[in-house]
Amino acid sequence: MENVINIPKYSYHKRAKRRKKTIKILLTITAIIVAFVVIFPVLWIIPAAFKPKNELFSIPNTFFPVNGTLENFTKVFNADINGTTLLKSIGATLLVATLATFTSLFVNMLTGYALARINFKRKKLIWIFLLFPMFIPGITIMLTSIKVVYALNMIDTIFVLFVPGMANSYQIFFFRQFYLNIPSNIEEAAVIDGCSRFKIFFKIIIPMSITPMVVIGVGTFMGAWNNFVWPTLTITENDNLIQIMQIIRTLNTTYKGDYGVVIAATLITLVVPIAVLTIFQKKIVEGIALSGGK
Amino acid sequence: MSEQTLGKRRKKKSLEYIDAPSGYAMVTPAIILLGIFAYIPLIMALFRAFSDYSTGQFCGFDNFDYILKTPSFIKSFGNVVLFTGIIVVAQMLLSFFFASVLYAIDMKVANVVKVICYVPCLISGVVASIIYIFILNYGGGLITSILIQLDKDPIAFTTQGYWPIFCVLLPTFWLGFGYNTLIMYAGLLNVPRVYYEVADIDGANYWKKMVYITLPYMKNVFVLVLVNLITGTLQMMDIPYMITGGGPLEMTLTPSLYLFNSFRDSGRPQNVTIAGALLVMILIVTVNLVAFKFIKSEKMEE
Repeated sequence: MENVINIPKYSYHKRAKRRKKTIKILLTITAIIVAFVVIFPVLWIIPAAFKPKNELFSIPNTFFPVNGTLENFTKVFNADINGTTLLKSIGATLLVATLATFTSLFVNMLTGYALARINFKRKKLIWIFLLFPMFIPGITIMLTSIKVVYALNMIDTIFVLFVPGMANSYQIFFFRQFYLNIPSNIEEAAVIDGCSRFKIFFKIIIPMSITPMVVIGVGTFMGAWNNFVWPTLTITENDNLIQIMQIIRTLNTTYKGDYGVVIAATLITLVVPIAVLTIFQKKIVEGIALSGGK
Repeated sequence: MSEQTLGKRRKKKSLEYIDAPSGYAMVTPAIILLGIFAYIPLIMALFRAFSDYSTGQFCGFDNFDYILKTPSFIKSFGNVVLFTGIIVVAQMLLSFFFASVLYAIDMKVANVVKVICYVPCLISGVVASIIYIFILNYGGGLITSILIQLDKDPIAFTTQGYWPIFCVLLPTFWLGFGYNTLIMYAGLLNVPRVYYEVADIDGANYWKKMVYITLPYMKNVFVLVLVNLITGTLQMMDIPYMITGGGPLEMTLTPSLYLFNSFRDSGRPQNVTIAGALLVMILIVTVNLVAFKFIKSEKMEE
């Protein structure tokens, strides 16, 4: 009697378990396929950069080059583009991106910290003043911003590339949110010990903020690396400061007939985001959970 | 006596605000920077939008009137609304679906997949455009090659039929997909597992759990993604600029691209263009205010 009841129940359980396992395998395969589809366009241009001119648009098109060549790379490194070279432009852009990252982290963390942790009068008003620019689209103030940096004699200097974007409402918002949620006891002890707020900020707060710093810092760094519209408008005469995306855009119009050169340059610019992602992958994924979880 | 209490109160107050000077010092750089590089340009833009370009006199809403009668601008607005609609629907559905897939599979695999899908999010619109121009090239790109091998006619993606729209939306989608998926995934992880366990005991099926637990719990994440998508897509510019130049027949022209071109073309009245740019801003501020209100009222209900 017992057997009669137990056997079907047991097999049902087993079947359900097996079904669950099958679904999990199917979902894993789906995930891998999606990841492959997403990364495919990037993968596709890697071997393409080594293709000679006649293979680039040949039909049928192959993934790997038949007669691989480094010609595209030698051409792009030696080319004179807008009075500068690819390498010089990469150097200029990396310099700007580094300056932008550290200066804006400093300004926005300091502001976020003060808004979250220090009492002072008119704080609410200041908070609204600092938050509102988040809603001003770049295009709305593009022309008048140029007038402002022109009046400040910043056109064609390195400052025009990172000073106007240094204070950033979104980052202030993000850091304020972060500092509202960290425990306050260590800080309070330091206040009682008579530490100044600046000392607390440098000695206690910065070491506690590594994850948000990495997330925001990577965002700023990549934003500067990828910046195209603003440099196009403000770096017009100073060849030493031409940014990498301006170079890519110029190559795209001047090397239409020799597109391998454009592809090679594009591939070179992809090294930076991929290196950044490889180094900081854990913190980035963690940090997005931080910003999206609330 | 009264002096003493007054002194005490003053002392308490002074303790509360003891660090106020450092507080002011810390926010000053941001106030100055945003004042110079956000507020002054905005105020200048407002002035110019309401004044005549040649005389500088106040002219009421003339500039707004003019821009709203400019067919290209109206067309670009229509385009971007359509694009935003498509991107929002596709991005919300697919990134939520994919986040659910990642949630269901092994953590280790999911982590690798997440990082791979995040790669495009760090790529610029300019570079993404080059990659897609190359793949979709009519003269012998990958897609043309595949179509010819299948004995089909190649497609001129940047000029033929409605394909140009596809051409600018595909890279746009690609650039945002990883980020949105990661946000949705983080949202899914935040749903307390206990709810699902209780539902399992009650014998709820997959769809019931989805409708009664997952979706309500994810509401704020959805709003966040939605707002990001809407404000981002409304300002779309560099991809159409690179791939189609706004054409053919302004099919892929967006307001930002129209304004960008106008700013560079000194022949067009700049104050009218600024008026148009303010209209874009009003739209974006409205979307954000509605979303913030929604999130706030949600939080109050809880």
